[in-house]
Amino acid sequence: MTNSNYLIEVSDLHKNFGELQVLKGVSEHISKGEVVSIIGPSGGGKSTFLRCLNLLEVPTSGKILFEGEDITAKGVDIDLHRQKMGMVFQHFNVFPHMTVGENVTMAPVLLGKKKQNEAVDMAKALLERVGLADKYNAYPQRLSGGQKQRLAIVRALAMEPDVMLFDEPTSALDPEMVGEVLNVIKGLVKEGMTTVIVTHEMGFAREISDRVFFMDGGVLAEKGSPEDIFSHPQNPRTKEFLSKVLY
Amino acid sequence: MDIINNIVRILEKYWNLFLIGTANTLLLSAVTVLFGIIIGSLLALMRISKLHIGRCKPLNLIATVYVEFIRGTPLLLQLYFFYFLLPMMVPALQLDKTFSIILALCLNSGAYVAEIIRAGINAVDKGQMEAARSLGLNYRQTMIKVIFPQAVKNILPALCNEFVSIIKETSLASTFFVGDLMTQFKTINGALFLSIEPLIIVGIIYFVLTFTLSKGIAVLERRLKTSD
Ligand SMILES: Nc1ncnc2c1ncn2[C@@H]1O[C@H](COP(=O)(O)OP(=O)(O)O)[C@@H](O)[C@H]1O
Ligand SMILES: [Mg+2]
Repeated sequence: MTNSNYLIEVSDLHKNFGELQVLKGVSEHISKGEVVSIIGPSGGGKSTFLRCLNLLEVPTSGKILFEGEDITAKGVDIDLHRQKMGMVFQHFNVFPHMTVGENVTMAPVLLGKKKQNEAVDMAKALLERVGLADKYNAYPQRLSGGQKQRLAIVRALAMEPDVMLFDEPTSALDPEMVGEVLNVIKGLVKEGMTTVIVTHEMGFAREISDRVFFMDGGVLAEKGSPEDIFSHPQNPRTKEFLSKVLY
Repeated sequence: MDIINNIVRILEKYWNLFLIGTANTLLLSAVTVLFGIIIGSLLALMRISKLHIGRCKPLNLIATVYVEFIRGTPLLLQLYFFYFLLPMMVPALQLDKTFSIILALCLNSGAYVAEIIRAGINAVDKGQMEAARSLGLNYRQTMIKVIFPQAVKNILPALCNEFVSIIKETSLASTFFVGDLMTQFKTINGALFLSIEPLIIVGIIYFVLTFTLSKGIAVLERRLKTSD
């Protein structure tokens, strides 16, 4: 069942918070270079699912293979795996006590991936790409929401991850800043970055995804190509959800 | 106008006592805060430590019980306790009971500082921990590089406020004549049979000390906020 083309394989994933069953058996795989969007109503377990992939949430049961290795097994050094899984959060979570440059260089230098001067060069190049070159020495407090999120993306990219996980990266942004962040993500996708994105931007999901998952009530209630999901949804829950979000 | 005259007379005769008392109070408070910070940091580390035997976290438990007990009993009681207990346990301390009092003050302050540090760490946005861990930093690296530097900004002003409270609380140590500002009131009160006048003088000194410090802290707090 293990396919070397799969970057992430999830089997029968369950997650409970106390009595509350949030994930009720999710099995899926994500191939190298694949772009997957996860859509669905609030509270359906999208964030929990994404956060299980890098073990920010510890699954109650089930297995997650990352690059062929079971990261839910005992004794696994999850920190090493996390270095290869970039994550971007709804609320940016940039480090306010570090400059933009330090935000980007801290992890690769501390974790021995890069020497300081190499990290600086890389940070400058990445920041240039997302239009933040002139902010290198600024503190995040001086950045707009869109700029903070672009910084957060660059910070994750600086670890040269094999996959990027986005949890509603534009939900906390003012509308006029959504585009700049989506453009950065689109650029990554074009370069072949394996991407899993939880989003409410349906047009965007349709445009960039190879596959779309509709998550509801802790299960992947429907999955398919963007065409399948958005133009020919089968599940009544999917239809209902889409009718609400696509006025 | 008798009071004014008396105050002037007392100041002329005993100004050096007030000076010494003020110096002692400041010294006592500084020592208390300093060791309070050391003890409090240790307690705070014990409380966030992940060391566990089975389900029980012994370090966490010890620190929690200690902090709750100190915070749940009056300082004066603790001072008496150490005043009598320590010389009993360590006879050499019979000679210097002041040491027992200072130790009690430090142990007391440690519990409050531990709470200040804990609150300062807890006040750092949870997303910061998640962001750092998602980059691959381990718990320790995250605490050192991301959480503590931000917690310091919450902790520093609160520690200064703790210093201000301690200045006032050390007055309780005068029960044992440790030579602080309040002790000088008792000395003069005993010598002159005047109470209101020396109290007014001592009160003004306490007020000037704490008021200036509080204003200074407010400035520090504003600086820390804008340097985010
Ligand atoms: N840390 C937590 N503790 C308790 N309940 C949680 C926690 N995180 C999420 N939940 C609950 O799990 C359910 C799914 O949440 P989430 O995965 O955030 O959904 P979504 O991202 O699809 O909106 C919600 O009911 C939420 O309240
Ligand atoms: Mg969510």
